[in-house]
Amino acid sequence: MTIVLNTLAEGVASEQISTLIKGDVEVVNTSDMKIAHCTGCNMCWLKTPGVCAIKDDYAGIIKKLVVAENLWLVSDTRFGFVDWHGKRVMDRIVPMLNMYIEFRDGSERHELRYHPLNFGLLYKGEADQEFLEEWSRRVASNLAGNSLGVIKMGEDKSCM
Amino acid sequence: MHVVIINGSPRVQKHSNTDAIIQSFGKGLHESGSTYELYSLSNRGEWDAARDAFITHEQIIFALPLYVECVPSIMLEFLETLPAKRQQSAQISFILHGGFDEGHQLRLCERFLQSLPAQLGCTYGGCLIQGGSFLIRMRDDEKMKKAMDKKMDGYTKMGLSFADHGNFLTPEVSKFIGHEKNPWFVHLLFKLFIKRLVRNNFDYFAKQWGCTRPLDDKPYLRLEIKR
Repeated sequence: MTIVLNTLAEGVASEQISTLIKGDVEVVNTSDMKIAHCTGCNMCWLKTPGVCAIKDDYAGIIKKLVVAENLWLVSDTRFGFVDWHGKRVMDRIVPMLNMYIEFRDGSERHELRYHPLNFGLLYKGEADQEFLEEWSRRVASNLAGNSLGVIKMGEDKSCM
Repeated sequence: MHVVIINGSPRVQKHSNTDAIIQSFGKGLHESGSTYELYSLSNRGEWDAARDAFITHEQIIFALPLYVECVPSIMLEFLETLPAKRQQSAQISFILHGGFDEGHQLRLCERFLQSLPAQLGCTYGGCLIQGGSFLIRMRDDEKMKKAMDKKMDGYTKMGLSFADHGNFLTPEVSKFIGHEKNPWFVHLLFKLFIKRLVRNNFDYFAKQWGCTRPLDDKPYLRLEIKR
């Protein structure tokens, strides 16, 4: 199963997403969801393992991720990188890992709480493609999965 | 010299490792006669004052923890509220840290930070990088105190150095990062001894925090199975 977190304004680019990502796909539009920034409180690692201390709509996303194989992020960009809306849903992914440490791909990594997740990125606007590819590769490595690719989206005609 | 320091961590100041680093660094600034003012983005009430200070001062440092291979989302949000152009020139420098001790894990974020000042009409003053900061939060614990005191002293020295040179573009700052990757024998030692030691330490911290579940618990999968 593939989960797509669309952090663009609701419905925007939905046509492009369904063209680019095939298979058993569930698209989650996060723009109208209540999602706070991760506060780095460490509760999901040291106090209530696997459960985020912030009680908002992200809990629903974690419940989907624990049964998914692939995760795609759809994000606008700023400063050559994903914007804060896109980064915010990634920063909250911490409960998918646990506090324990191992070496994976030759690097220190946190252990997976569940199973590997592959990660891909669809982005809008001007950004540094090569930088985003390296970022996606590293994010996927954190999740013990592969990078599914980094794709720049065209101008969305569905919203015109 | 007067420096504006902005703490880009989302964690409340009281428990912020970044704040502890800034305090030690600031001690070095003070020792050399420099001054600084501090703003913490974890407190929304400080955003307007932080933005005003950013616009009106020439020496700015962002201090931040690595979050998912780059800048924390809260800091990205703040950056978007800053003007792209400015009246007088300014230099932005960075203090970047992370939980793991391997330097290479912080390099991609460093690349992003290098590209950032020009996009805000400023020059780049370098990046002070060091990993291994997870235990800062546990620095009052007897087991950790000695190593953490040494780490924090390092930041005070870097505060003195920044006051001297006016930036982080010096050889001593380049060395501050330590090792890029662990050598093979550390991997071996980790497998044989260290892994268990580290696990025990985490279990010990969790117990102190009142944790009643195993740290590798799978709460949502349990729900799935029940269903």
